[in-house]
Parts: sequence; structure tokens; C-alpha cells
Amino acid sequence: MSGADQSVAGAAPRGVRSDAVAGIALVLIALFVGWENRAYPIGNLAEPGPGYMPLLIACALGGFGLLIALRSGNSPLFNTLDWSEGRRGMVMLVACGVATFALERIGYRLSMIALLIFMLGVVERKRVVPTLLVAFGFSFLSYFLFATLLKVQLPLGPGGL
Amino acid sequence: MDGVFTNLILGFSVALQPSVLAYAFAGCVIGTLVGMLPGLGPLAGISLLLPATFGLNPIIAIVLLAGVYYGAMYGGSTTSILMRIPGEAASVMTCIDGYAMTQRGRAGPALAIAAIGSFVAGTLSVVALMFLAPTLASFALRFGPPEYTALLLMGFFVLSYMSGGSMLKTLAMAAVGLLLGMIGIDAMSGYTRFSYGLIELGDGIGIVPVAVGLFGLSEILLTAGQPTPPAIQRPTLRQLIPSLDEIKLSIGPISRGSFIGFLIGIIPGSAHIISSFVSYGIERRMSKHPERFGNGAIEGVAGPESANNSAATGAFVPMLALGIPTGPITAVMLAAIMVHGISPGPMLITQQPELFWGFVASMYVGNVVLLVLNLPLVGLFVNLLRIPYSYLYPTILCFCILGVYSVSNSVVDVWIMLGMGAIGYVLRKTGFEPAPIALGLILSPMLELSVRQSLAMSGGSYGIFFHRPIAITMFVAAGVLIFLGLKPLLFKSKDWREKVGLED
Repeated sequence: MSGADQSVAGAAPRGVRSDAVAGIALVLIALFVGWENRAYPIGNLAEPGPGYMPLLIACALGGFGLLIALRSGNSPLFNTLDWSEGRRGMVMLVACGVATFALERIGYRLSMIALLIFMLGVVERKRVVPTLLVAFGFSFLSYFLFATLLKVQLPLGPGGL
Repeated sequence: MDGVFTNLILGFSVALQPSVLAYAFAGCVIGTLVGMLPGLGPLAGISLLLPATFGLNPIIAIVLLAGVYYGAMYGGSTTSILMRIPGEAASVMTCIDGYAMTQRGRAGPALAIAAIGSFVAGTLSVVALMFLAPTLASFALRFGPPEYTALLLMGFFVLSYMSGGSMLKTLAMAAVGLLLGMIGIDAMSGYTRFSYGLIELGDGIGIVPVAVGLFGLSEILLTAGQPTPPAIQRPTLRQLIPSLDEIKLSIGPISRGSFIGFLIGIIPGSAHIISSFVSYGIERRMSKHPERFGNGAIEGVAGPESANNSAATGAFVPMLALGIPTGPITAVMLAAIMVHGISPGPMLITQQPELFWGFVASMYVGNVVLLVLNLPLVGLFVNLLRIPYSYLYPTILCFCILGVYSVSNSVVDVWIMLGMGAIGYVLRKTGFEPAPIALGLILSPMLELSVRQSLAMSGGSYGIFFHRPIAITMFVAAGVLIFLGLKPLLFKSKDWREKVGLED
């Protein structure tokens, strides 16, 4: 259950509410879209241009964001939200980002081997043999299944690997 | 009526071909496994399998993906009941009483009722689909841009009203999805919008990277590093047999779940998830002993499981009859048939009868396959859960990258998936549902086109939406939902979640 679902019992403690932060973020997104939308003609009602709908939706989003921020009283305090998995999640995302960057440079198999060795060996601290078995086994088997059997094009690395 | 049965015979002649049958079976097995694995719901499973269907014929492609879809509905219930781990979101409600039954040594009957309920609901809803889709398709020929606008907007309001969270938050997320759907070339003017020079964004943002990021990756980010799940019970075939009392108690919830699920399924939104919540709430509300709910009430398993399977089938009605995807899953399935040059819409049933009726017949076959798979083989399937999660999630991450990349061989799509994963994680932490984003993204081009065409047709008057009977009916329905959504704020009354007992 997310922290936002927990109602605040008793006297409401002071501080910034999570919905207030979320609502303001939505308003900022709406303002950004509205600003960027200047590049496209709005047209008129009889002939709406490419900028018409984005502006309409951005206005609606801004309105929703404002209402969410104004009605944020029952949401939990922003600094009480539990982000305990955040650090691990960030490491995972960065590792996936590096693998994505490498995908078309060193090929599918090598980048997946590297990602799995990092995730299993460094993040999960698994022993070397199972880590290598999973890393090599997964990347070669999945390549065989998708690229060889199902004819999905996957990038190759140095030496056709 | 005769026409329906003649067509159904045509459908079975397609569905019982060995190759179609084999793919239906494969889809059901893959779906069951996907449904059981935490972090891989039906959407991620279908998205990952999508590139593999490009080389298949369209009938086999859609039969395979549909097998994965309703296989995942079945599979999700197994982990919910045995381990209190919902393999996918629609099984959350099954966890409550299903796991309580497991703790009381009644895991077998809970699994059996879940499978039987799913089978009954699946079969009844296919019958309804068979009769309703062709009727709706012929009715939909009367739809013009204003009617499509009204239908799509009504879908958003139904989703926001029925979703478990705040109506405002749901609508805000839908608006974010609509804005994402406006990235890329504008179909009416040819302008490229919000692409910032990236050629890959010219065609817009695809549903697969967004869906895999928001649902698959964000789930892994939330669950990785948590303690390993508890030991797994493996009931034998004899232990699966429910008692006479349990069967009697399940008949009503299965019937109601099938009906409610189908109705919710045909309206755009995360139907299978919402339907299980609504069904659970209604069963608890209707029970003479609501205190049993949460402590192992069989009705709490029978209702939601029937509802989510029925909704999964109901979602195919607008997809096949109108060409409107009711959610990300049906959108990916539509993409699978559009790749083969088939245009979805009201003419699909008449122009591609083999595809439509073969698909309908394959769903009957699929339901039987799943019943056979999920009862005697449940002990075999749960072995998958013995793989430690610390080994499982890194390989699921690799599958996410592989699946997203292979849809259009684009690294940009993988970056979008990673970004969406991070956004999905933050949204779920702050109490926002990511599903409306995916729905908004899918419906955005259709909504924009229909609004602009309507305004062009009327010479710039919004009155066009209120002069056409079908459109005005749908707008009135949307207005009623807005009123019902605002009523608790205006009059301090209870909303439907409290009335059906979901919020105490």
C-alpha cells in the first residue's frame, strides 16, 4: 500500500502534503506543455490546428493539478513517504541505462551478460558460478529463442557475438 | 441466430486446425506462467511476445496473444491463493480470502473454485461477445466523429468513477496520457509536435515501452529487495475438490461476477482490475455474514475471479466491433493485427469473418485448455515460484529490454521504457494509478481526430455534440458519473466504494 493511501489520523501534523507536491508538479507540466505549444498553430474552432488539443488538455491538466493541490489535506506528509527501495531502484535503472547504451554498440548478448553479472554478482551478491551460469545461459538462450527461432532482429556485437 | 451458429461453425473449423490449436495451447501456458510471476502481468507478457507474432498469420497471432491474456488471468489467481502474491493487479482481491483459505488448509477448494469460476465466466462472456459484437458493429456504422468523441470521453469518466482511487487523480493521469499521445506527427496537418528533433518520436510514443515501463519495470523497482516469499503449498488433485457448501456459496458470486465483469469489460478502462474490486465489494455487501470476508470466504474468491475473466473477454467487444481498444492490452493486440494490414473497426466482422469467428471459437477452446491446465497441473506450475526472486527479477529486467527493443528495433523505445518505469514507481508511491496514462496514450489520436473532425463538420460549434441522440446519451451518462463522483464532496454522502464495503 502506498503511503498516500494512509489517512492521517488525529491532529494533522504540519508540513508539505504529498498531493500538494504532486498537484504542483502537474500544474508545472501543464505550463510547460502550454509554453512549448506556442510553436504550433491553434487555428480556430471551425478549423482547429495542431496546437488546439494539446492546449485544451494542458488547461484541463493544470486545472486537475490545482484541485489536487488544493484538496491535499488528507494525504500524508511528503517527507513521511517510504522510499526505502529507491536506492536499489536507482541502481537498477542506471544499470539498465548502461546496458541500453551498450546494446547497439557491443550487441545484445554481451550487454545482457554484463547486466546480469552486475545485477546478480554486485547487487544481489550471488556466488560466481550461478551468476555466470544465469548470465550466459539467459543471454544465449533468449538470443536463440528470439533471434534464431522467432526471427526477431537483435543487435550483434564484435565478431558477430 | 442461425447466422451466428453458421459463423461459429466456421470459427471452430479455424480454431480446431492443429496449428491454431497448438498456438492457443502455447498462449495459455505462457499466459499462466506470466500471470504467476510477480512483475510480469498480462500486459508485459503480451508486449514481450508481440514481436514474435509479426511472422505469424493474423489469426494465429491474435489467438496466441488472447491465450496469454486470459491465461494470465487464471495464473494470477494461483499465486494470490497460495502465496498472497498477486501475479497481476486483477488478482489483488483474490489474495484476501484466497490466502486466508490457504492458511485454513482449504487451498485446494479455493484454487478449484477460482478455476471453475474463471471457466464459467470465460465461457458465458464468450457467448455474450458472440452475440453482442456483431450487433454493436452494425450499430456502430451509425457512429460519426461526435459519437466517437462522446464514447471516448464517457470511457474516461467511467474509468475515473470506477477506479479505486481519487477521481481527480485518475482524470489527471488520463490527461497526462492524452498529452503523451500527442507527441509525433499530427495526422490532420502533418506538423511534428513535441519531438525535439528525435526522428524516432515522429511516429509518436508506442504503447509497448510505456506499458512495460509503467507496469512491468515499476513493479520490479517496488518489489526487488523485499524478503523472499513464504513456503508454497502444493495441493493434490484430491484436495482440490470443494465441499457441497462451498459450491452452493459460489454459484451466486460466479453468476454475478460474470455479469458485472462483462459489463465493466466493454467500457474503456482497466476493466479486469476494476471488475474484481467491484465484484468483491458487492459480494461482501450482499453477504449475510460480511464478517467472514477477509477470513477465508469462498465468495471472495469466486466473485472477483469470475469478474476479472469475464471482463477480459468483454474488453474484446469494443476492440473487435468498434476498433477501439479498451485498455493497453487490447491496444497491443490491435497492433498485432494491424501489422498484418487488417483495419479494425465495424467492418472487421464482415470483411474478416475467419479472423473474428476463429478468434471467438479459440476462446471456447482456450477456456477448456485453461481449466485442464489449472486444476491437475497446478502443483507443476507452482514449482516456478521456487526460483528465488533475486534470480528472477534481473532476468525479467532483461526480458523487458529485449521485448521493448524488438518491437521496432529502437533504443529510444528502451529509454522511454526506463523513464516510464521511474515515473511509474514515483506515481505508485504517491498514490497515483498509472493505468489511465496508458489508456490516454492509446485513445489520444482517436479523441483528437474525432474532436477536430466534429468541430470542422459543425463549422466550429460544440453544439454538434448535443444535437445527435447517440452522442447526447453518452454525454448524459458521463454527466451522471461526474455528478456521482462529486456527490460525496457536495453532500457528505458515501460514494460507491464505501457503499460496497471497500473502504471500511
